This record gives sequence, C-alpha cells and structure tokens, in this order.
Amino acid sequence: MNPLHGKLGLKIAIGVVLAFALVPFIPDAHEHYLFFYLFLVFVNIIVAQGWNVVAGYTGQISLAQHAFFGIGGYTTALLAIHFFEDGGSYFNPLLLAASGVVAALFAIVIGFPLLSKLAGDYFALGTLGLGEIVRVVLIKGGRATGGSAGISMSPEPFETLMPHYWVGLLLAAACTLVVFLMSRSRLGLALMAVREDSIAAAASGVPVLRMKVGAFAASAFMTGLAGSLYAFYVFAVSPGGFLNLSWTLYPILMCVMGGSGTVLGPVLGAFVMTAVFSAGNVYLPGVHPIVSGALIILVMLFMPSGILRMREGRRRRAKTGQQVEKGSQASGVAPSR
Amino acid sequence: MNKRGALTTIAAAAVVATGLGTPLWAAAAAPTEIKIGAPISMSGLLAADGLEQKWSYEQAVADVNAAGGIFIKAANKKLPVRLVFADDQSDPSKVTDAMERLIKVEKVDLILSTHGGDLNMAGALAAEKYKKFYMITTMWPHDWGPKKFKWSALFFYDAAGGAEVPFKIWESLPPDQRPKKPALVVEDSPDGQGFGGVFKSLAKKYNVQFVLDEPWAMGAKDYSAYILKMKARGADAVLLFGSPGDSITMVRQMKEQNFSVPYLHGWKGTWPYEFREALGDASDYVLADGFWSPEYPYPGAKELGERYTKQFNKSSTSIGMFYANAQVMLKAIETSGSLEPKAVRDAVAGHEFKGTVQGDVKFDAAGLALITSTANQWWQGKHRLVYPTQAGGWTLKLAPPWNQRK
Repeated sequence: MNPLHGKLGLKIAIGVVLAFALVPFIPDAHEHYLFFYLFLVFVNIIVAQGWNVVAGYTGQISLAQHAFFGIGGYTTALLAIHFFEDGGSYFNPLLLAASGVVAALFAIVIGFPLLSKLAGDYFALGTLGLGEIVRVVLIKGGRATGGSAGISMSPEPFETLMPHYWVGLLLAAACTLVVFLMSRSRLGLALMAVREDSIAAAASGVPVLRMKVGAFAASAFMTGLAGSLYAFYVFAVSPGGFLNLSWTLYPILMCVMGGSGTVLGPVLGAFVMTAVFSAGNVYLPGVHPIVSGALIILVMLFMPSGILRMREGRRRRAKTGQQVEKGSQASGVAPSR
Repeated sequence: MNKRGALTTIAAAAVVATGLGTPLWAAAAAPTEIKIGAPISMSGLLAADGLEQKWSYEQAVADVNAAGGIFIKAANKKLPVRLVFADDQSDPSKVTDAMERLIKVEKVDLILSTHGGDLNMAGALAAEKYKKFYMITTMWPHDWGPKKFKWSALFFYDAAGGAEVPFKIWESLPPDQRPKKPALVVEDSPDGQGFGGVFKSLAKKYNVQFVLDEPWAMGAKDYSAYILKMKARGADAVLLFGSPGDSITMVRQMKEQNFSVPYLHGWKGTWPYEFREALGDASDYVLADGFWSPEYPYPGAKELGERYTKQFNKSSTSIGMFYANAQVMLKAIETSGSLEPKAVRDAVAGHEFKGTVQGDVKFDAAGLALITSTANQWWQGKHRLVYPTQAGGWTLKLAPPWNQRK
C-alpha cells in the first residue's frame, strides 16, 4: 500500500490545509491578487468536487452545475434581502446551509424523473436543459428575482477577503474530505459499481436510482454552497453571472484534467486551471478564450484520464506491452510496432 | 497520490504563485504616473461595445497626455496618465475578478466603468468594497440610486427619458405628419417588457394609442404575422425594441412584404453599424437610439467622430459618452489635484463639468448626472442626429413607400 494513502497522507493533507489557513497572517497578504486567486481555487474545488461525486464516481454526466450554483447564490441573496434587512446575513451559516439544501432539494425533485428515464448522453442533455429552465425562470421572475438585472446585497459588511478565504478553504477541505471518506466506504463502492455497470450493480442489490439521485443531490449541495459563498463575495447575483455555463464547463475541465473519480484530481485541476485562466486573463486579455479552448482540446487529447491517472495509464500500457511481448514470444511471432 | 505526484503538485503551486504577479511582500513605490483602470468587455457578447469603450478611453487619455498630463499636488508636477484594462468577458461575475486584478495587481488609483447595467452593478459593488472611485456610464439611475453608493458616480439617461424621445419628436412634427396609428413591437425579454411598459405609460400621457402591442418573439425567423397585423391595422409608425439580428430580420421582411411606415424608430438593435451593413440602403430613414452624436455642437465632438470614422470607416453614437466619462474623471483629478479616491469622488459629486464632448455635465450631490438620449436617423451609411434638435442640423425625413425610394 502506498504510504501516502494512509495516515501519512492524512497528516500531509492536514498540514497543507493548515499551511493555507495561515496564509492570511502574512502581512498584507489579503491585498495581493494571489490571495484572491486562492479564494477562486477554493470555490472551484467545491464545484469540481461536486461534479466529481456525480460524474467521476457515479458516472452520471451532469451539465447542470451552473443551475445549482445559481440556485445557491440566489437563495443566499433572497434570504439576505428578505429576512436579514437589519444585517446579520453576512456569512450566516444558516444561509450557507440553506443554499446547499435548496439546491439539493431541487436536484432531488428533478433527479428522480430524469435519472429514472435517462442515462448517459441523454441525462447530460436533460441537465443542460434544466440549467436553461432555471435561467429563464430567474429572468422572468420579475421583482421577486430582480429579472435580468438580478439582486444585489449591501457590501457594507465587507472589510477584507479573509473570511471568504477561510470559509472557502474550510468548505473545499470539507468537500474533499467527504469525497475521500466516501471513496473508502461501502457507499463509494456502490456508486462506483453504478458507474461501471448499473445492471450488474442492481443485480448485486445496489439501489441504483437512489444512489444516482443521492449523488446528484450531494453534488448540487456542494455546488449550492459554492454559489452562496460567491454571492457573499460579489454581493450581486444575476442570471448572467451566476447562471453562466462556465460554472459547469470549467469545473468539468478541472476534474478531467486532474483526474475525475479520484479524490485529489479536482483539487489539482482547480489549482492548475484557475492559474491558467487567471494568467490568460491577465496576460492575454480578449484572446484568452482561444487559449482556454486550445487547452481543453490538448487536455482531451493527451490527458483524457487526468494527471493523477497518467502514471496508472503508463503502468497499464507497460503491463499490456509486457503481456503482448510474452504472448508473442510464446507463439514465436514478433510484435508489430 | 505518490511522492512524485505530491512534489509535482507543490512545484506546480509554486510556479503558479510566482507566475501570477508581484511577490507578496512587494513594497509600494512612489507614484510617477496616474494609473487608471477599466474593466472592459473585450470578449463575450458585449465585446463590440467594449472595444468602442476602450478606444474612447484611450483617446481621452491620449489627449490629456498630449497636453502634458495632470497636475498632482503631492508630486508638485504634472503626471502622465496610464490606462490599464482588464477583460470582464461580458460576464457580471467576472467584473469583480477584473476589479480585483486592477486593484491588487495593477494597483490602479481610480477606475472607469465597463458597459451595461448588471456589469456595472458588480463593478460598483466591488468599488464599495475596496473604496476605490468608480466612474460609471451606462447603468440605469433607478438601479444605481437606491444603493446610495459612496464610491461611484454615474452619468446616463433614465429609462423614461429615453422612451419619451419618439413622443417628443412626433410633437415637433406638423400635425398632418404626426403618426396616428403607431405600433409597439418590443422583444419578449425583461428589458423589452420594462421599456414597453414605459412606452405605454407615456402613450397615455401624450394621448397616443398603439394599434398593435404584442411581445416580439426573440430570434424568430419569420415576422410575417406581425407585419400583416400592422398592415391590416394601417400602422403609420413602429417603435421597435429588439436585438440587431431581430431588427434586421424585421426590416428586411417589411421590405419583402412591401410594408413601409413613415416613421420607424428602433432601440438596441438599429444603432449598430451591422444594421446598416446588413440592410444597405433599406436602412435609410430608420431611426436609432444613441448616447451621443458627432453632430453635437460641443467642443471636440466633431473631431472625435472624425477620428473614429477615419480609423474604422464607420460612425458611432456611443464613443462620445465613453470619452466624456473619462473626461469627467480626468477633470475631477485635475480639480482635486489628488489621486485619492474620496477626493476625486468629492470633486465629481455636486459639481458641473463644462465643455465635455457630451456638453456640460452637472452632477447632483449623490453623484448622478442625467444626460439626454439621442435619436439618429440612418442616411447613406451615417447616423444623422434628429434629437435633441440642433440649430441648422439634420431634419427628420419621413420614409416614402418602398417603391418610391431611390
């Protein structure tokens, strides 16, 4: 067993999280763009881990993460302006939790009909449609949702980015821990069984639909939390900003690049891809979508299994090569190149 | 993850950390220039507007620098102005990202706005958070005003003022030329419905009745049903609120069905140059909303329009407003002699700025200045200013039937 998968790995992970938690104590750290970059990374980790649960572990490609992100953000903003007019909404844990819960409930309500009838590409397209429905409902919501302009909260409580940073770090670490524990539990095994072969899983007694819907809801919960956290940062939620498809596509890219269906893949992907997008935006303003698009193609071409699975892939290829060589030696035929 | 993987991750994080900007411990250097930032929509849906805005800001700053810069008391000399842009990708949630970069990486002193209501709301909120002065144009005052922002100022027209323009134009016409049976065709969107509501309330005020008032399906390919209804009801004017693509389709199909109205006034979709390019001479007589005109008699307006036309071979009804937005900020820096956001903001709120390319711009104590929305008639590929009326300026031409046009 690899020692980094055991207690040593856990100690390293705790050390890394603690090290990140101490970053705000560096003088003037919160005045630096790198600090904001880390905050963005944490938000992306949360959303990417959400997608990792439903797609990476359960094999259900969801394209509705932006809808859950938007629902989370709007839940926070609506509760803040209607029930906390006298203040007290800022980083209120109730609002954060409510945002995750509302997104999860929405996923459950939508998930049962979608997942009982659709799978694979059809499920992915269904969830894409879901995102559009939420966007149009929010635009057509009139005064209740602020229409196309959205809703804004008072930025009065904002002093520094530190609370956002710490809450982001805490939520990113918590989501990663949940995925870690899940991947080592019977539940994780059941989800992976559904991913690999849902008929075989059902034959083995796994409640396939409940597993799929549960993973979809857990994914929505995490993404809703991220939406809430981001709403506390921008203080304004709008369909254009929170229902943007990039809140679905970028986390998928992060997962795929890092390694979907792994615990640390989305974390690694979030660090690298957020850096690439931020650097592209800083150094290539206006043309960075070209860079991002090219990067997506390159990732799909050369790292379809993600960074964390590259070694695994190489090992598997080497093993296959050895087996082929052995077989050909046994049969006396030279392997073709 | 194995050891090599962990080391790779740490190395990648280190590369990222060093690659993203200045060190965490960098000390602030003494300013030798005035650094102004602007989040601009350089990519995404609003990129065309964003590039006009970027060009206008660059012209305003180039003109000030050509005059030697701006005197700053603390430096006891004139300092040159440097503009720094950050792409907001036409996405409100990315405006805050752009603002972070401008404030934290570029360390800008002051910020000029991006374009559009929800984007500018995000920008104004970020300015409040970081206490940086944000000089805004293109945002509805009814969205900005109730927020009582302390770190921004706005100059733009209000929705009612913009929607009242056609009624004022009609009043200025001889009674026999005034439209009797106008049709209201507004896109089925929140903005369209919002604008449509204002048109309808103004119609009551001006005692006008619309012969057709139906939401306009966005992105449809066939508008024959609307055109047939307008024809059947004898419409003699059309107020059209929709995207450039939809507006082009509507006018093209009106021509195909030989339906012409003397007065066709569009919002949102008829001002871009692509409208003219797509329709050619069929765009003549059509009116478009606008923010500004090179035909304004204000100092520098004509020259700015000529400069733009020379460079891009087309006209614009926006650049002057963006240019004036920068002019106001630059003049406020000059007045205050400071780069302190509060001092510059105080030099804007409650003050009047004379001689901008947008005319004299007067801000109230809250930092709001209302300007007039323009109406421009397309004529041989140029926007000609119809409203506000200028002495010796362009006179509105009512459109003859299609078969009588040259």
